[in-house]
Amino acid sequence: MTEPEPLPGEPVSYEAATARLEEIIKRLDSGAAGLRETLELCREGRTLVELCAAELEAVGQGLEELRLDDLIARLEAGAGAAGG
Amino acid sequence: MAESQTRPAGIDGSTLPGPYGVGRYAAGLRDFLRERPRVQLFGEVWNLRLSRAKVYLELRDADGALPCSMWRDDFDALALGESALADGAQVVIAGGLDYYAGSRTSSPSFTFAVSGLRIAGEGDLLAQLDRLRKTLDAEGLFAAQKRLRRPALPRTIGVVTGEGGKARDDVLAGLRRRGWQGRLVWAFAPVQDRHAAPRITAALQDLAATGAVDVIVVARGGGSLADLFCFCDETLCRTVALLGVPVIASVGHHTDRTLIDDVAALSCSTPTHAAESAVPVHCAEARAEAVAVARRLSVHARRALLHRAQALARLSRAPGEHVAVQRRRLHQRMREIRAAGRRRIEHERGRSGRKALVLDRKARASAGDARGATRLSALAMALAAHDPDRTLERGFALVTDRAGEVVTSAQAARRAGDVRLRFGDAAVDATITDADDRA
Repeated sequence: MTEPEPLPGEPVSYEAATARLEEIIKRLDSGAAGLRETLELCREGRTLVELCAAELEAVGQGLEELRLDDLIARLEAGAGAAGG
Repeated sequence: MAESQTRPAGIDGSTLPGPYGVGRYAAGLRDFLRERPRVQLFGEVWNLRLSRAKVYLELRDADGALPCSMWRDDFDALALGESALADGAQVVIAGGLDYYAGSRTSSPSFTFAVSGLRIAGEGDLLAQLDRLRKTLDAEGLFAAQKRLRRPALPRTIGVVTGEGGKARDDVLAGLRRRGWQGRLVWAFAPVQDRHAAPRITAALQDLAATGAVDVIVVARGGGSLADLFCFCDETLCRTVALLGVPVIASVGHHTDRTLIDDVAALSCSTPTHAAESAVPVHCAEARAEAVAVARRLSVHARRALLHRAQALARLSRAPGEHVAVQRRRLHQRMREIRAAGRRRIEHERGRSGRKALVLDRKARASAGDARGATRLSALAMALAAHDPDRTLERGFALVTDRAGEVVTSAQAARRAGDVRLRFGDAAVDATITDADDRA
């Protein structure tokens, strides 16, 4: 299943980021990229690595278990606080 | 007498008789039930179990069910095929009610004691299930969930399962194995009985409605198809199919698929496997990989800059090197021109010397000729004096033989016989005729 292109402003998914990183590394390893392209690819790659690291960090801080009712209550409280 | 001693007092205010000893009452109940008329019943077989002495099954239809048992010998005497009595098979049974009264150490049980059994056909429930499966498939509902994107690294996972079941621990074990430590939302629901399907449906809808859940796992440990029949509920399956969040089902049954297995985005054999499938990425490995990729990017960037710097350095050196090369070439050409000039001069010098020598010899030769001219005319005069023609002019004759050889004696003339006499003006032939005059 091919990953649809993210719309502008839509956050890049982890799998899209890793797929793009694979492409970047492949292009860099081929040695075909010039200096300007290499530096641009490296810059884009670093951004994507940071994104992946942030995603991994988000699911690496300790398991949080809660019941559906707690989640709903928390979301409602959040919505109420945002609304008020 | 002993009974009366141990019998406690009754409940104050109760008008009911007793209290009686339970064993005697149970025995009385057994006798009462055994006296009930024996009948034939029909329904579907579910949860068939074969033990050494007895065969147990439940006879069900839409209105109710009855636990049944049959002596193993009677059952074996029917000689039914292995799969003839699979869950859902329709049967007619004959028998009557019975009650095992139990004891202080064994539990009582109520049963319909089966004395005869006939298979009447495929179970209605299974036939209904098959019809529903075809309907949902024809509506394209099996494909809807499979089109949803399942995130490789979900932040929040919803789990619908029984609160006290083993599936709960299995899900946690699967997530631990992936190294995943995100947010886990439990939506507990009964997973076996007639209340299960609506509760599971509601849990799925509520989880999806939060908008905060990336993927949902529906998990239940193994069981018979009868136990899992709630997962074939039409409303539940339609809800799953149309849910905007991917559902991973793990409602394990070895032989038959439940309908939720068909409509879900993914169907797994165990809750552990379902949890692992919900997080396709192994988090620890992914972290190590991200570090490795970051390192490779840095190496590429550094190497690219280094190569460019080296290229620039080469370019900056190039003009100087070019001039030096041209200078070396120029010097070489000059050396070659000088050497060529020297060689030419030497060559010309050699040629001039040789010419001078020839001229010198010629000059010397010319000088010698002038000196010898006088001597030459003297020699010519001497030579002319010895010319035989001059002698012949003076009256002498020259005698030759036929071969032209000069004959210088009379003896030679006689030997020759024919001779030629050459005078000053002409020659005449002569023949020698006389003998030696000296004789």
